[in-house]
Amino acid sequence: MRLTQILVGLLGLTALAGLSACGTGQTTAVDSGTESTTNSATGNQASKGTLVIRANGEDFVRQGFTSKDGWAITFDHVYVSLADITAAQTDPPFNPEAGGKLDPKAQVVLPDPVVVDLAAGDATAEPILVAETDAPAGRFNALSWQMPLAKEGASAGYSLWLQGTATKDGQKLPFTIKVAEALAFTCGDFVGDDRKGILEAGGRADLESTFHFDHLFGDGEAPADDDINTGSLGFGPLAALAKNGEVNVNSADLKAGLSPAEHDTFIKILPSLGHVGEGHCEEVKLTS
Amino acid sequence: MRYALGLLLVGLGSLGWETPGLAHGVHIQHRVISGIEIQARYDSGEPMQAAQVSIYAPGNPSDPWLKGTTDAEGRFRFTPDANQPGNWEVKVRQAGHGDIVSIPVAAMDGPMAGEPATVPSASLMKQPGELSPVKHWVTIAAVVWGFIGTALFFSRGKR
Repeated sequence: MRLTQILVGLLGLTALAGLSACGTGQTTAVDSGTESTTNSATGNQASKGTLVIRANGEDFVRQGFTSKDGWAITFDHVYVSLADITAAQTDPPFNPEAGGKLDPKAQVVLPDPVVVDLAAGDATAEPILVAETDAPAGRFNALSWQMPLAKEGASAGYSLWLQGTATKDGQKLPFTIKVAEALAFTCGDFVGDDRKGILEAGGRADLESTFHFDHLFGDGEAPADDDINTGSLGFGPLAALAKNGEVNVNSADLKAGLSPAEHDTFIKILPSLGHVGEGHCEEVKLTS
Repeated sequence: MRYALGLLLVGLGSLGWETPGLAHGVHIQHRVISGIEIQARYDSGEPMQAAQVSIYAPGNPSDPWLKGTTDAEGRFRFTPDANQPGNWEVKVRQAGHGDIVSIPVAAMDGPMAGEPATVPSASLMKQPGELSPVKHWVTIAAVVWGFIGTALFFSRGKR
């Protein structure tokens, strides 16, 4: 009888210990975090928050940089014309690399055109505020915008206006490059240090149109055989168009003055200027 | 400077421990798991070596569920928690260049066949404190049985 009682007791304790171990034995050491309070898949919450749209020329514009061919470039103004800015919640997430149509579950459209100066502020300025708008809570993981020709303002008639100074070997060359090609970009999720576009009810979230001008001029800090340099125009071909100690050209002047290969490079670069942080966009060039 | 993220599945198969019959006190256990392998390359084809990888679970797009770096071939492997079905996001960044890809992972009891980026139902990464209904009730029964057995043990008379 005593042996039976001992066995019964041990069996009970063993079962308890065994099941307890079974419940936690496969636990990962990685914390999965907390549940999101919003549902990016539907975007149908009645609750709203504030979505902030910004445009960013990055440190290349704010602080200047050296082109692949050794020109130190600083900017006084970088006017970009923006319109039909659309922030979208997509599920499955829109993949610009795969192309296709952006199919939003919810979206916010800002149709009014606006021109912003990416060079505004000092070297440490925040990305430029474009708009703030009420938006349904959820996950804004896609952003598209168009760059029509500005109808008014300093850059009227152009989608992009680059103005600054290039310096090399003691030569100081003011430049103004006026782009008359209308462009459009359809992008996926922001890629950067932080995540963006996660809007909770009553909260604020931001999205960013990012412009990579190193694609046009190259980057003197990168190796010569880096893609950023092999695929860029540099500043030298533009400097060659200087008259009276200044480069002041528009799209027609570039077509007339650049070599066919250089102009082809310039035209192909334009649709690759738009990004969302480091994330790429579907590159659409509307007109030339 | 653009690159694409290629996705490959590795280790497809059922989950379970298998113990080879070894004879002299050394035991090597293995189990076949399933997971996801990504490979990040630049457009030039060059692999993104030692690039930063951040994995985001479907329920929390703000905080990485897992962080790591790619290997010399630009590869990174992970096993998503199948208890968290949905779009798992993988962000890869290096020196100012980056991309993000979304990988759908099916529900634990959902159909798995034919989905190239779907992980089979079983998972190595189970959350603390999660018990199935069956385990829940069996655990309760075991607790009760443990108390009864313990009581019987200590209530035995002195002989």
